[in-house]
Amino acid sequence: MTSPIEHCKECVDLLGEYIEGTLTGEQAKALEEHLSTCPPCITFVRTYRATRRLCRSALAAEMPHELMSSLSSFLGKHVPGFPCSKPDTTTVVTEATADIGPKKA
Amino acid sequence: MADTPHLRTQALAPEEPRADGQPGDRELVERAQKGDGAAFAQLVERHQRQLYRLALRMTGSEADAQEVLQEAFLNAYQKLPLFRGEAQFSSWLYRIAANSALMRLRRKRRAPDGLTDQPLELSGPRFSAEGYLEPTSSSDWSQRADEKMMSGELGSAINKAVEQLPDDYRTVFLLKDVDGLSNEDIAEALDLTVPAVKSRLHRARLALREKLGEFFDVPAK
Repeated sequence: MTSPIEHCKECVDLLGEYIEGTLTGEQAKALEEHLSTCPPCITFVRTYRATRRLCRSALAAEMPHELMSSLSSFLGKHVPGFPCSKPDTTTVVTEATADIGPKKA
Repeated sequence: MADTPHLRTQALAPEEPRADGQPGDRELVERAQKGDGAAFAQLVERHQRQLYRLALRMTGSEADAQEVLQEAFLNAYQKLPLFRGEAQFSSWLYRIAANSALMRLRRKRRAPDGLTDQPLELSGPRFSAEGYLEPTSSSDWSQRADEKMMSGELGSAINKAVEQLPDDYRTVFLLKDVDGLSNEDIAEALDLTVPAVKSRLHRARLALREKLGEFFDVPAK
């Protein structure tokens, strides 16, 4: 039998597991009972969830194509049979045409 | 070595087929172990983006992330004969990359001109002596977040806050909340217990939540 959660600190301590759904049924029930009577903890849950959501969104980063190509070239020199890097044609063509310019008939 | 899983010989469960019909990691690893460089290239192609994200957020620099990736994949290739498949290949790779990033950070901190100090204590919510939340820890900024996100200021604040986390906490946080690994996979990758992963993750989130609260509590200029 899980005792009721009286203080916010106990609620905060369980929050990580609560939002992952890994608390026991009794623990989750006790936490929800506390939340039903504690507006500051409801706010805390909202901001805790928002923290995860915002961080995930802000920290998502795409690997640049140039970096993929250079990694592939690097491994091609060190790993036997590693296929040669396919050049990033967009970048190569752009740079090449920037230097040479379009050929006109 | 810390980043080499222990060897054990035991029957492994059959590999789950992939939804895209491509060979699974285990099959590619077995082929790469027999000298198939193209199979190793497929593993690199499959995992490089996640490793890049981790390396970038760990080191805070694209140039360092590039070197971490090169080192990690080369290291993985050289240790491939030792990989026996008890761990998932991705966890094994994450472990190698995380160690490489951590070693790079430590080398930088030891350098004479190293400016990056190891962050100090993690902050967290404040409670009264009776265990109730202090009002400063319960302001509701969650509704204002999306609007701020659009401005780009919030992204900078989050990056800065994550950089300030201690390395061990930042690694767990990135693997879980950004890359979406399970607690079990993170424990395997970082050689931690699952309760230790949960504890670090929760403390990292609490510290980040505090930093975000400070950000939102500053009146707009």
